[in-house]
Amino acid sequence: MTTAHVQGAQPAVPLAPARLARGIRTPDGERFLAGLAGQKMRLNGCAAAAYAALYANVDVIAAYPIRPYTAIMMNLSQFIADGILDAEYIHADGEHAQLSAAFGAGSCGARAYTGSSGVGVTYAYEMYSIISGARIPVQMAIADRTLDPPGDFGSEHTDALCTRDMGWLLGWAATPQEVFDKSLIAYAIGEDPRVLLPQMVAQDGYFVSHIAGEVEMPSADQVDAYLPPYQLPFALDPRRPVSHGPQIHPEQGPPLQLERARAMEDAIPVIRRKTDEFATAFGRQYPHLVEEYLLDDAEIALVISGGHAVTCRAAIRRLREQGIKIGMVRLLWIRPFPSDDLRAALQAVKAVGVVETNLGLGGASYGGILSLDVTTALYQAEYERPLVTSFMAGLGGETVPVAEFDWMAGKLGQALQRGRVEKATHWVGFEH
Amino acid sequence: MAHEVVRHNLPLFDEEGRAAATDDLAGRDRHFLPDFPGEDPYAAGHRTCAGCGPAIQYRWVLKAAGHDSVLAGPTGCMYVANSTYLCTPYTVPWAHTPIASGGSFTSGMAAGYEAMIRKGRHPGPYPNIIVMAGDGSASDIGLGSMSGALYRNHDALFICYDNECYANTGIQTSPTTPYAGMTTFTPFGKAIPEGKKLAAKNLAKMMAEGHPHCYVATTTVGYPTDLMNKTRKGLNHVGAAFLHCYTPCQKGWVYQTSMTVELGRRVVEAGLFPVWEYDPQQREYRYFHPPVQRPVTDYLAMQGRFGHMLPEHVAALQRAANRNWQDMGMDVPASLREGEDPAHHERLSEETYSMPLNRGVGA
Repeated sequence: MTTAHVQGAQPAVPLAPARLARGIRTPDGERFLAGLAGQKMRLNGCAAAAYAALYANVDVIAAYPIRPYTAIMMNLSQFIADGILDAEYIHADGEHAQLSAAFGAGSCGARAYTGSSGVGVTYAYEMYSIISGARIPVQMAIADRTLDPPGDFGSEHTDALCTRDMGWLLGWAATPQEVFDKSLIAYAIGEDPRVLLPQMVAQDGYFVSHIAGEVEMPSADQVDAYLPPYQLPFALDPRRPVSHGPQIHPEQGPPLQLERARAMEDAIPVIRRKTDEFATAFGRQYPHLVEEYLLDDAEIALVISGGHAVTCRAAIRRLREQGIKIGMVRLLWIRPFPSDDLRAALQAVKAVGVVETNLGLGGASYGGILSLDVTTALYQAEYERPLVTSFMAGLGGETVPVAEFDWMAGKLGQALQRGRVEKATHWVGFEH
Repeated sequence: MAHEVVRHNLPLFDEEGRAAATDDLAGRDRHFLPDFPGEDPYAAGHRTCAGCGPAIQYRWVLKAAGHDSVLAGPTGCMYVANSTYLCTPYTVPWAHTPIASGGSFTSGMAAGYEAMIRKGRHPGPYPNIIVMAGDGSASDIGLGSMSGALYRNHDALFICYDNECYANTGIQTSPTTPYAGMTTFTPFGKAIPEGKKLAAKNLAKMMAEGHPHCYVATTTVGYPTDLMNKTRKGLNHVGAAFLHCYTPCQKGWVYQTSMTVELGRRVVEAGLFPVWEYDPQQREYRYFHPPVQRPVTDYLAMQGRFGHMLPEHVAALQRAANRNWQDMGMDVPASLREGEDPAHHERLSEETYSMPLNRGVGA
């Protein structure tokens, strides 16, 4: 069936009356944020996410406890108890209810915030497609946790990656500062009328969520200027009635799905713009979609996402001292997948190793999830494609020490010498 | 400073209000209640079945609530039959929710409006926030979500439109399907002659007992003023309110389509669906005592879903009805006690049963 590109998300009815008013902060909140402006605080990733939600002046928070993300919600409940944040705090009866409540609040035009970890993320699975299909830009914080079995608190990216095809913007932050910044950037992208998509801001459980780092606190005015009041063009508002989520006939499916697929593509220029606007407003410039680390003359490169990139950089600096031409690409966003930027970053590289801190059982690589996207992106390259392999590392929340990155570099070096990879997936620590 | 959240207070209708009749184009009497609002935020033109009980309830609830309302509808027949892409019967904002999200999505709507009004982001009063969930949603897959919303006491009206089955998917048993009710998941046969072997879940009592701070009531489509007043009382109650409404499904229950409202009265008169109101201030139940008490056979005989019942099954339902009468503080007449004996129904099965179709004024 032939379908036309449906431009953006055009509401079928005139826009609802504006809700342009900035949400009122409490007097204690104003004083608290004024005192923070310009300060550097030592916060772990959970606290950094909570502070970002405080600055974003969220209207509705839907909480349910599960380690390790719980501390985000503990921080937020304290802000409310102290009168610093005026928001409705919903003690949901499970993650499905959390996401549903955030969805309901967002559908009415309230800025909604929620989060989860591990099996909590998958318990809510029904909601992901529904929320993105309804184009409600709620934000969900994820501190990664291994899926059961066995019961394990440690970080593994499989929880958030399970949702990667559900139409949410999804990216990892590697430090508490980046968690804070990315939470604001993600709201700005997701709420942009050209995008209107929900966002997952993920961080590694414990490695980022529970290790303190320095976080610069902006002023409330800076944040308000960067992140304007949330304005849903088709809110559930009695002043301008709309119906959300009706039944469709099969022939109405393709254009709607195409529109949602295009929203992901259309998000990429908005990600670039909002990342740059953030740099102008706050003085911290992040790469738009991929971080290129020591790639200029690199022959081999590791592709990674999340907190293990910090160790990876250190390993690469050491390997460079030994004369090994290695670099790193860190994916700041997994959805939309930065195919163009990844291809541009790796155009001079001869062998690529994808570091998988996730489990994709029985997939094409018989290893992880990320390498499938990386390989597809590289397959479309107009230059001579690099060799690609992948490394299963850090599963169950295990650390990925420098020695393991050294081992991966060795495998990439061997592949370069042989002109082919030994296999699609290496299980680090189980092979010689 | 935070803005004050101003809430509606809707006046109640006179229980003994006026009735009127007018001729329609074909010269037939059309009865109507002239004191009810003319507005219909649930407009005509949807695809519900002829004689649909939930559609009657939807119309009366939204008539009572009026236009400053926001409505959610979890998956169910009233989702599929009402909303078709690019067409809607709702003149108030409406959103579909997943079937398990009736309570939780509505919690989010209520929380969103509380926060937005307080923070100066929505002018005007707090709207009437209503969810109408089917019995599968409210008493089964979304029970936890519904209970969570009542527990958290969001200012919203949570309604279960109860057609005693998963009708949308082709009439499967739900927890509110009565004992012996035939569904496609509880067919009758040689090995299981009664069809459904389990007694129904008492959803409304569970909600009232488990969330004693909430306004909880039951009603049926047999009593329009009662239904609309309980809707308004639920909306006026500051906090969570739960309304359990009996709404016949002609497709699932197999009865003449004109009998929907009649069934809504007979189920009460047969003692099978007690109509009551729970007052959270006094923590007490106020039961409606119907002016007529009937044997359950007066109710069962109207519906094909009960056509397979054997005398012992009818007797079991009469026993259940008689316990209900006692719970409601009503005497159980000797004629109804006799119905607890299967032999009573053996004798009845020899007689031809004629269904009184016209109840006349005031019955």
